[in-house]
Amino acid sequence: MENAWIIPLFPLISFLFLLLFGRRLKENSGYVGMALTFLSLIYSLVVLFDRFNHPTYKAEATWLAIGDVQLTAGFEVNQLNALMLVIVSLVSFLVHTYSKGYMHGDDRFHIFYAYLGLFTFAMLGLVVSPNLLQTYIFWELVGVGSFLLIGFYFYKEEAKAAAKKAFIMTRIGDVGLLIGMILLFWQVGSFEYDAIFLAVEEGAISAGIITLTAILIFIGAVGKSGQFPLHTWLPDAMEGPTPVSALIHAATMVAAGVYLVAALFPLFTASETALMTVAVIGAFTAIFAASIGLVQTDIKRVLAYSTVSQLGYMMLALGSAGYVAGVFHLMTHAFFKALLFLAAGSVIHAVHTQNIEEMGGLWKKLRLTGPLFLIGTLAISGVPLFSGFFSKDEILIAAWTNGNPVLFWLAVIAAFFTAFYMFRLFFMVFTGQSRSEMKNVHESPKVMTVPMIVLGVLAVVAGYFNTPWFGTFLGDWLVEGNEALGHGHTEGPAWIMIVATLVSLLGIFLAWLMYGKKSLQRDWLSSRMPITYNMLYNKYYLDEFYALSVVKTTKGLSVLLSYIEAFVVEGIVKGVAGIVHGLGKTGSKIQSGQVQAYGTVAFVGLAVLVVVYVLAGGYLK
Amino acid sequence: MSSVPVAAYLTLALILFCIGLYGALTKRNTVIVLISIELMLNAVNINLVAFSKFGMIPSITGQVFALFAIAVAAAEAAVGLAILIALYRNKKTVNIDEMNDLKS
Amino acid sequence: MDLDTLLSFEWGAMAPEFIILGVATILSIVDLFAPKHLDRKIFGWIGFAGILLALASLINLVGLGPVSILYDTFRLDGFAKAFKILLLIGAALVMLLALSYKPKEGMEEYKGEFYYLLLAGLLGAMMMASSGDLITLFVGLELLSLSSYILAGIRKKHLPSNESAMKYVVNGGIATAFTLFGMSYVYGLTGTTNLIEMTNVLPNLANAQYIYILGIAFFMIFVGLSFKLATAPFHMWAPDVYQGAPTPVTAFLSVVSKTAGFVILIRILLTVFGNAFAGNSGVAAMTNFLVGMQDYIAFLAAATMIIGNVVALRQRNIKRVFAYSSIAHAGYLLVAVTAMSSFMFDALWFYLGAYLFMNVGAFAVIQLLTQHTDNEDIGVFAGLYKRAPWLAVAMGVFILSLAGIPGTAGFIGKLNIFIGALASEPAHYVLASVMIATTVISYFYYFGVLTQMFFRPAAEDEGEGGKIRVPVGLSIALVICVVATIVFGLFPNIALDFFHTNFEGFADFLQ
Repeated sequence: MENAWIIPLFPLISFLFLLLFGRRLKENSGYVGMALTFLSLIYSLVVLFDRFNHPTYKAEATWLAIGDVQLTAGFEVNQLNALMLVIVSLVSFLVHTYSKGYMHGDDRFHIFYAYLGLFTFAMLGLVVSPNLLQTYIFWELVGVGSFLLIGFYFYKEEAKAAAKKAFIMTRIGDVGLLIGMILLFWQVGSFEYDAIFLAVEEGAISAGIITLTAILIFIGAVGKSGQFPLHTWLPDAMEGPTPVSALIHAATMVAAGVYLVAALFPLFTASETALMTVAVIGAFTAIFAASIGLVQTDIKRVLAYSTVSQLGYMMLALGSAGYVAGVFHLMTHAFFKALLFLAAGSVIHAVHTQNIEEMGGLWKKLRLTGPLFLIGTLAISGVPLFSGFFSKDEILIAAWTNGNPVLFWLAVIAAFFTAFYMFRLFFMVFTGQSRSEMKNVHESPKVMTVPMIVLGVLAVVAGYFNTPWFGTFLGDWLVEGNEALGHGHTEGPAWIMIVATLVSLLGIFLAWLMYGKKSLQRDWLSSRMPITYNMLYNKYYLDEFYALSVVKTTKGLSVLLSYIEAFVVEGIVKGVAGIVHGLGKTGSKIQSGQVQAYGTVAFVGLAVLVVVYVLAGGYLK
Repeated sequence: MSSVPVAAYLTLALILFCIGLYGALTKRNTVIVLISIELMLNAVNINLVAFSKFGMIPSITGQVFALFAIAVAAAEAAVGLAILIALYRNKKTVNIDEMNDLKS
Repeated sequence: MDLDTLLSFEWGAMAPEFIILGVATILSIVDLFAPKHLDRKIFGWIGFAGILLALASLINLVGLGPVSILYDTFRLDGFAKAFKILLLIGAALVMLLALSYKPKEGMEEYKGEFYYLLLAGLLGAMMMASSGDLITLFVGLELLSLSSYILAGIRKKHLPSNESAMKYVVNGGIATAFTLFGMSYVYGLTGTTNLIEMTNVLPNLANAQYIYILGIAFFMIFVGLSFKLATAPFHMWAPDVYQGAPTPVTAFLSVVSKTAGFVILIRILLTVFGNAFAGNSGVAAMTNFLVGMQDYIAFLAAATMIIGNVVALRQRNIKRVFAYSSIAHAGYLLVAVTAMSSFMFDALWFYLGAYLFMNVGAFAVIQLLTQHTDNEDIGVFAGLYKRAPWLAVAMGVFILSLAGIPGTAGFIGKLNIFIGALASEPAHYVLASVMIATTVISYFYYFGVLTQMFFRPAAEDEGEGGKIRVPVGLSIALVICVVATIVFGLFPNIALDFFHTNFEGFADFLQ
């Protein structure tokens, strides 16, 4: 554990090495990246198991002295960090492996691996940081890494725009984070997490400042984790290569915002308002993004909106004082969403389109990808026995016991939507007849399927680390020795689990009726099972009823919401940009090339200063 | 010794400075602009000498400063004219408002 | 003054200046008599060696206590030493750029002048850093200015170069007149040109009228000096001059000349005005003059940051982009001046140092890409990563540092200034927020350049084909700049410790 600082260095070495020799190695660069991230993974696992038996380890040294202020740098291994290390290095390693197949034949293969190394380094560095400043530095570096990766296909105009948008949008959030950080520093005199928590505990900071800084820091998390209203970059970021989406937009970078809130959890719990803000934004994002997901036709965009929605869930959990629930869902989501993205990549790899309207009937052709995608879909939909079920259940319990039924029911509806659109996706892609000419559809090579299988296993078993049935091992461990984080497990009423199961099954069923059943031969069912047929027939009214009422309204609502997104959110962004550009234009115009005009400006400036000085009596304050 | 108060010298210098500034900012001919700048610098010299003789704390340093200022002003005028000649060779104009190729 | 007095002065304190003066003089004489066909490049290397020698002798002087010779007109205190180090390093790097500079039309017959004028300008800047008297301050300022005027126009047959020099002279003359006029009032109020004596006289100003005059003098000096700093309201010359001047000169103006501007500004502000009071009755009589002026400086700093960063968005010419960026950086530095926190010196010194490396580095790359064709459109960066990956990575480091991305010296510099603005009493929230907001705006144009380099294919009709040859001098400069930018970004304590152990926070500033 004393050498945990080595973990982020492996990918850094990979980055530097590939930068230097990548051109010569060509596609062999992949092995370099894989080997080095594998070392990170092994070491992370060692650190994690070490952490089970030993207390938190922290090491730091003075990095910068400004005046009499000492800024330190170092690393820390606590429960959260250790867990994140494993998640990040594992997903990163699997993505490294998968990309070997996915990026095969790309001219800039080695550059891709170099960027992956840089990103992984930044992300691992982020999770071991023991203070806010270091976190911020890696936070920015993560942004740079994702900028490079999203814009990897830079010859595509959209990819370039998306990379820029992602960078700028998250930067807006970062400003909040930076201000919050500086404010905290100003109050506490240190960037150290421990010092901040101590000050909060002792009441050294006024309640108002706690709320303010917590919300400012949350703004940073909003940007990074794609929460409303700064979420618009995430769906656009799907222009990047699909393995990147799995790495960045499922498991790591977008989870950084959640991680930040979790890491600063004691600060947030000290303020009711801040927690409430987190919960409300989270719940709203969850349902908002889920409803938009209902009408998307691009496979990766559906997954992107579902990511936004799931991140909203995590925020809701944290905001409802459900520390364990949030972190738990962060972990399970990392596995099943990475699985879904990789499987989607495998589908795209096979059919060379991202439009689900053009897919269909792939179940038989993609013998491995299909079932794996199904596992991911079941997990995210919260079907019992899959990992998503347990973590979502925890979140719902947290939301309920925290005493806010509105947020709870929003989360339930979002869960319903999730199940619905995920299965809509599944049915449209894998069942029925192919809706366009598909030639040469074949399963992906082993190097791509093996990582998916690993994730598939994890997407099932990851839930059992923390269940109400077999013991809440993960939760107990996470909060061990830290009162501020709440309880390892919160007992909730049993009906919540039943409700959760029911809504997800209902969603799946509805999706099946609308998108799966269509393809079923009607007489196949009616001839063999007339009773079932009749029942289904009656249910059909329900279907139409839904189609007319619920689905129509939801569709309308989601269209409305996309308009809000397109015009209000983007409008504000464009407005600000417009003002800045207008100012720039004026400034350029004044710069007429007339040297005497320049002198005049200086003279007028001087005159204004003197006049103000004289009028103000020489002293402004 | 003298009945002219220091304020009068200062006012004269200020007027001279303003005339120079006006000329530097409005005249088209670059030579006149350079001369106007000289006028501004010379206004300063009046100030310095006046303070040196009739100031609150009279001292000789003011006059020394003025000598330096005169020397520097001469150098500046020389450099300015040299650059103007170089420019004239290429552009065939001394009008300052036509020197506007560099702009946003 | 007899010979004994002359000999009693500790002339060793002026050794760096003497070295530069000597080398410049020798070069100018040799240039006159050397045969025409002699490659004047050797002069550049001699000049470079001279600067290094001066730097060595200055470092030798670092341990020396504050020395003041020639009746207090020349001071060698911690402040002077710390900033002279920056000036010398900056000039050395610019000299390397100048050595590799080959404009399209050639400049063989006056290449020699180029080198020794750079040295003369450097000498002026060093005198400014060390002067304890308004007269030497003024002469140093003018020596720097006059050399820069000629340097800007050194490409005699290149119209933009002529024009930029002309604009520089006219604006510079007006600025000089402003400064000098303000100085004459200060002299009138104190009866002395010695900075330390002024410090002692000014607090005793009893008459409210005098304080008004002091205020007006302050504004005139400040506006006049803002010409050197390229800050509002005297910033508008900068884009035109930067664009027209030869690239090494642009680097010189944006680094050495700007540093010298801040040096003289701090000298005058803290010695002349540092002890005066803002008024003679009520609260104002208890308030330091500078505290009373804080709001004005803050306003100018904010205006500078906004103008620099916003107008830069509209530029297509790469040198103009960097001109506006340099205006913006001067604005950040003014924030440190405004705040006058206890570590203003650290912040300013570190930032100017970081700015020196990243900006000279950036200009080195710009020079390399633009000098052959005179095409200065931002498009020259297109596909640089493909054509010259190392050059692109180096430029990427400079850009990230200029933008203030963590891990680079630029970030630490901004952080210093930012913390200073918040840690001072009263804290300058508004200014700090303007700084953050404009920094965000600056990402747009900085990343525009990055996008060009990494995400754009190279133009097909590129004459030289793929490869770009990097001359020796330029590659030395580039390596130094990259290494310094990263090292001071990761281990800023190297620089700050050096600063604290050797200059003791400028405790001897007012002795």
